[in-house]
Amino acid sequence: MKLVIDESRCKGCNLCVLVCPYGIFQEGTELNSRGIVTPVLDRPERCTNCRLQALYGRMLCGVCHMICPDQAINWVEEKPFEPHKVEVEF
Amino acid sequence: MIAPDWFRDDRLPHIYCTGCGNGTVINCTLAAVEEMGWKRDETVFVSGIGCSSRAPGYILTDSLHTTHGRALAFATGVKMARPDLHVVVFTGDGDLAAIGGNHFIHACRRNVDMTVICMNNHIYGMTGGQGSPTTPAGAISTTTPYGMSEPAFDLAELAVAAGANYVARWTSYHVKELTKAVAAGLQTPGLAFIEARTQCPTNYGRHNKLRRVSDMIEHLRSHAILVQKHDRLVAEGKPIPEGAFTVGELVRRNRPAMGVQR
Ligand SMILES: Cc1ncc(C[n+]2csc(CCOP(=O)(O)OP(=O)(O)O)c2C)c(N)n1
Ligand code: SF4
Ligand code: SF4
Ligand code: SF4
Ligand SMILES: [Mg+2]
Repeated sequence: MKLVIDESRCKGCNLCVLVCPYGIFQEGTELNSRGIVTPVLDRPERCTNCRLQALYGRMLCGVCHMICPDQAINWVEEKPFEPHKVEVEF
Repeated sequence: MIAPDWFRDDRLPHIYCTGCGNGTVINCTLAAVEEMGWKRDETVFVSGIGCSSRAPGYILTDSLHTTHGRALAFATGVKMARPDLHVVVFTGDGDLAAIGGNHFIHACRRNVDMTVICMNNHIYGMTGGQGSPTTPAGAISTTTPYGMSEPAFDLAELAVAAGANYVARWTSYHVKELTKAVAAGLQTPGLAFIEARTQCPTNYGRHNKLRRVSDMIEHLRSHAILVQKHDRLVAEGKPIPEGAFTVGELVRRNRPAMGVQR
């Protein structure tokens, strides 16, 4: 699974930056086409939910998804051939 | 997980300001509803007027967006006419405790079978930041430019005293706990009241040195103390930290309820 921010919904409140235990969301610096500075993702493949959601068959952690007041954080299926780097943290 | 197909996608993004806590409370409520396995055509959301009261407009069920303060009166009507429906009320501190104060205490007294979720941002958000019955002492609002001089209502304690079967309080920072509390409320026959303290960065934070959303969230996080800890401090005769408020389950009981389908 892949973590995505819906640019058409995010209002740039940075609550996700505050809550993610992995620091995956970083405050952005550039305005998007709607005039909003949305957060940027730092190696989102580290997110527990990206790695293990399919295996466990349920949402893991998910606090960014729950606290996001604008329903902008979601996970989408990856294309099977999409290359990604996996870092497992112990 | 939030029930994604319960949102009116065509209405999103909603009108709430950047970082407003109301959106988070909607998420937690829909996650709890999803947990219950309720169907959309068996569920009704009712609200009054205010930013918080706009919530049902973003949810894909039948809903009533009623007049200011009267959400509980309309919700009582829905429940009496159709006890088979699940009734959930979204309200604000002004809507529930100022203009709607009498409906609040009497709905609790009657213990009408519904779940009431109050987004308490301590201010009249929608109308530009006037003081509400929950504005803390000393806080600046447009109607209290020298600081609020009246004592504030404790909404959760009020619901306990008035007779609601389930009462809990959390904040928009405590998303997991809030979701669990709403789910417990949905399961309880009789009136379940969940106070969700939320941030209004625009009309509360801006006047009270909490301009940044993160400052408001930090304020909620650091001033919340568990009921159990509060009670322990009281029993030990120790002081309660300045400005602290209790969070957790305040009551769960089985008083006779009205409108419960047999
Ligand atoms: C009968 C009536 N009186 C006053 C108003 C103006 N009014 C609209 S919203 C509001 C206060 C809302 O405060 P609250 O319930 O806390 O909602 P919030 O916007 O803070 O979420 C008031 C006084 C109204 N719409 N109708
Ligand atoms: S919490 Fe949601 S709206 Fe706020 S910055 Fe993150 S993605 Fe955007
Ligand atoms: S689900 Fe948890 S770990 Fe994954 S991005 Fe969100 S907050 Fe971070
Ligand atoms: S005025 Fe306050 S309560 Fe209303 S949408 Fe803005 S932040 Fe939220
Ligand atoms: Mg309010």
